Amino acid sequence: MDARLEQLIKDARSDGSCALRAAARLMSIMTNQPQRLGELLAGSRDWPQPRLVLGVTGAPGSGKSTITDHLAAEFRDHFPERKLGIVAVDPSSPFTGGALLGDRVRMMRHASDPHVFIRSLASRGHLGGLALGARGVVRVMGLIGCDTVIVETVGVGQSEVEIAQNADLVVVVLAPGQGDSVQMLKAGLLEAADLFVVNKSDREGADLLHQQLLSMLQRQRLARLDLASTPGEPMTCGGPMLTGPQGIVDERATPAVRVALDNETPPVFRCSAIKHEGVAELMMELKGLTDRHAVDWQNRRKGQTIEEIRLAVLEEVRRRVSDRLAPGRKGYEELERATEGNRSMAALVDELLYEAAAAGRGLQSSGC
Amino acid sequence: MNAAVKPRILIGKPGLDGHDRGAKYVAQILRDAGFEVIYTGIRRSPEQIVDTAVQEDVAAIGLSLLSGAHLALFTRVLELLHDRGADDIVVFGGGTIPPKDIPRLKEMGVAEVFTPGTPARQIVAAIDDCLLHHSVM
Amino acid sequence: MSATEEQVDHIKQAVERWNAGPVAKLLAKFPEQRAKFVTASDRQVERLYAPEAATIDRYAEKLGLPGEYPFTRGVQPTMYRGRFWTMRQYAGFATAEESNQRYRYLLEQGTTGLSVAFDLPTQIGYDSDDPMAAGEVGKVGVAIDSLADMETLLDGIPLDRISTSMTINATAAVLLAMYIAVGEKQGVPPEKLNGTIQNDILKEYIARGTYRFPPGPSLRLISDIFAYCTEKVPNFNTISISGYHIREAGSTAAQEIGFTLADAICYVDTALQAGLKVDDFAPRLAFFFAAHSDLFEEAAKFRAARRLYARIMKERFGAVNPKSLMLRFHTQTGGVTLTAQQPDNNVVRVTIQALAAVLGGTQSLHTNSKDEAMALPTEESVTVALRTQQLIAYESGVTNTVDPLAGSFYVEKLTDDLEVEAEGIIKLIDARGGMVAAIEQGFVQKQIEESAYRYGQSIDNGERVIVGVNKFTGDEPPTINLFEVPESTTQRQLDKLRGVRASRDVARVEAALAAVKQAAVGSENLMPPILAAVRAYATVGEICSTLAGVFGEFSESTN
Repeated sequence: MDARLEQLIKDARSDGSCALRAAARLMSIMTNQPQRLGELLAGSRDWPQPRLVLGVTGAPGSGKSTITDHLAAEFRDHFPERKLGIVAVDPSSPFTGGALLGDRVRMMRHASDPHVFIRSLASRGHLGGLALGARGVVRVMGLIGCDTVIVETVGVGQSEVEIAQNADLVVVVLAPGQGDSVQMLKAGLLEAADLFVVNKSDREGADLLHQQLLSMLQRQRLARLDLASTPGEPMTCGGPMLTGPQGIVDERATPAVRVALDNETPPVFRCSAIKHEGVAELMMELKGLTDRHAVDWQNRRKGQTIEEIRLAVLEEVRRRVSDRLAPGRKGYEELERATEGNRSMAALVDELLYEAAAAGRGLQSSGC
Repeated sequence: MNAAVKPRILIGKPGLDGHDRGAKYVAQILRDAGFEVIYTGIRRSPEQIVDTAVQEDVAAIGLSLLSGAHLALFTRVLELLHDRGADDIVVFGGGTIPPKDIPRLKEMGVAEVFTPGTPARQIVAAIDDCLLHHSVM
Repeated sequence: MSATEEQVDHIKQAVERWNAGPVAKLLAKFPEQRAKFVTASDRQVERLYAPEAATIDRYAEKLGLPGEYPFTRGVQPTMYRGRFWTMRQYAGFATAEESNQRYRYLLEQGTTGLSVAFDLPTQIGYDSDDPMAAGEVGKVGVAIDSLADMETLLDGIPLDRISTSMTINATAAVLLAMYIAVGEKQGVPPEKLNGTIQNDILKEYIARGTYRFPPGPSLRLISDIFAYCTEKVPNFNTISISGYHIREAGSTAAQEIGFTLADAICYVDTALQAGLKVDDFAPRLAFFFAAHSDLFEEAAKFRAARRLYARIMKERFGAVNPKSLMLRFHTQTGGVTLTAQQPDNNVVRVTIQALAAVLGGTQSLHTNSKDEAMALPTEESVTVALRTQQLIAYESGVTNTVDPLAGSFYVEKLTDDLEVEAEGIIKLIDARGGMVAAIEQGFVQKQIEESAYRYGQSIDNGERVIVGVNKFTGDEPPTINLFEVPESTTQRQLDKLRGVRASRDVARVEAALAAVKQAAVGSENLMPPILAAVRAYATVGEICSTLAGVFGEFSESTN
């Protein structure tokens, strides 16, 4: 690590007036230098880490930023001494590479709160719903003492997979009138969630969405129970729509703020951020989960770190090999020869890997 | 350094003025020009704008004002940037600003002032120019 | 086929022959200037328009007569032959003293109504000494903190004879109460007061930004005002539902009508839910539109808006009083069309726009001054703007007959098309659960933003020419004299506010504010306690922060 980086790290951890600026610049390094990301992440593994990294995902328009904003307010009320970090990812334009990062508009009340640090990121063509450096930004938030970090995804593409690999808990936000919500559930979001929020619960269609979700969870639950106990028994579909914590069905009752089919099934919260309903309950649930599961998360994070190293290794291999395949380089000529059938593909790969290994020897940092 | 990464820019509306057409349009043309633009929305305090700029590590702040409060609000934003050790962030502005106030704003440290009708090309070129020597981390 | 249809068919065939024959031949040699001609709102325009059978066959239903349903041709039978529109110049700056002088000057020059511009702290409900007001006091309008300022503002202006329009929304109840209280002091009872409060909060969330409270309580304040005025201040227009700011924010002409009438629908629904009867309050609903430079499209816009509104009030709300069906409106020429480059050109733009408003049958008109892209107008530039209206009224001859553009094949087609498009927009809002929901979803803002972006791009890529901006540019420096708000304004206003706070009966103020709070928590009409607080010299900021304590504060959070 260079001296400048060391200085920034030192400044960011200090109480000095330049701490915030230094942290912000560190975040820029994390996001702007993908070729160094592996090294940077490796170097940051012994930094203090947040107790909870909370992923917030869901279709565009479901109200992720509003939920994030209200969770932040609840967090600040509950833990006036603790710091909160927020990472909000918006898509980059595939045509110009530019981006309009507007999530902050909904969070401006926290802008001057010294206990809240908000960072907007552009996805920059990264398809996983986060930005490439998001993990590094979370690390820096840990470095400056954030107790909790909320990571809000783009909400399109494969958000659910990547956020699950980067967060301790994943909240999936759904809203009525967003045709995408149910589609996304079918496409994998259902499995990724630790908690569900049916947002805009005052809106028409919220009850229907709530029921659709519970019924999907119920189907999943019955499938699991059937598999566990009596395999071969025909699977029951549908089932109770509104099941309270005790499993009592009452279709006439106003659905409760929190509904959980059982302890194994992610609970569903009905929230109306605009009307300040449901977010406090969500916050308390998150607090309870953090207190109970912090130890499990250490294992989960270890898994994430392995994944992080794996990706860094792959990235480094890709970088070294693709360098050699750039037009004008020797590898490129080999490619041309391969088109003429004068070169075996397997031999070419072996040769490239050999050269890439030689290139790294003695040059590359100790990162991974 | 990474040559491919363009600097980030904050577009904000300080004070009580709610006319955001110009601010939004400038945010859009900067996005079209490949910048990452952080938009704050209307009715923000100078403190909120400067704190946002620092957290987002932007290279420039663009402020749009149609309320005539530009002298007071630009002064405050520049003061706060100084207090936070962020004088290197370029500040530019636009809106209904009388020609006579432009030299005063520039003297204060405002890099560029765009009045109504300034073509998008010209705004983008001027900002590119201001940020030419800015180093992106 | 009716006889008219046969004739029209005949004409259309002739036009087709003409297009295919002589026109095509000419085009081969001399192509037109562009492949596609569009209006200022991107509506495609044909080379030539032919008559439509419906204009004759369904004349009564589509056009009718002036002063009669559906009011396409105007809301009064004789229009400007009877009386010109009200020439009303929006003005206000610095403190009440300076603004009072400007009003007296304007009245001497022949304006026939006042239009008060308040500064932003007053519009949002902050006193001049609030940290949020820093730098803004007296800048875009006059600073009003308490009744004392309002007394000065209206000093020497007879409120029983002059009608006053006040651009005030979030804090409309407070400023209206002050106006009533000044009337009392002048010996003018509320029932003799004439004027308009803008009081249109929905378009603040959409386009203008001077909201303070969330939509629910804001709508309640509005229906409280409706109820109170119906009974006590019957000649006041209790709302001016404004498309102007929607257009300024970048909407098209059709969106301006569609979103504005969708706002109107929301206000009518709110008042009906509060138990009012449509024919009791609807006659006091007024409108406010922009006039831009596309002369025919703009004139047609006003005609389309009148017809669509009449139909909505009759068919959707079952109003029967003809006054409930009439869309009466104020017009302002388009602020966004003014350019800082070659400012004299703005006089010409304003003339065309004012003409569009008059041809469209406006009830009152503000003409912008040439220097307003840079600052508040000087007295000289305001005078030219006013003279522009007087010239149209007295010299142009367009006022001699009612609805002079009726029957123009082009204008009737534009009127029909704009009406259809605006009605489609209203349906979209209905489908989203009404205007409040559509605003909360960011839908309306997004639509306007997209139109603004397209318009901006069309100028930036040269498809649309703005004289002096992207064509015929010169490098002459604008050497024009601009108005400046006196630097001493803030200090003088703060001194006055301090004086008021020191001399009033504190116990009375506190009791009055407690009563406001109690009414806000409950459901009784807020106007009487606000009026009592105003009379006790409670300030705009004190009353509004009391209300905010109960209602909460709104802040921008939509797309």
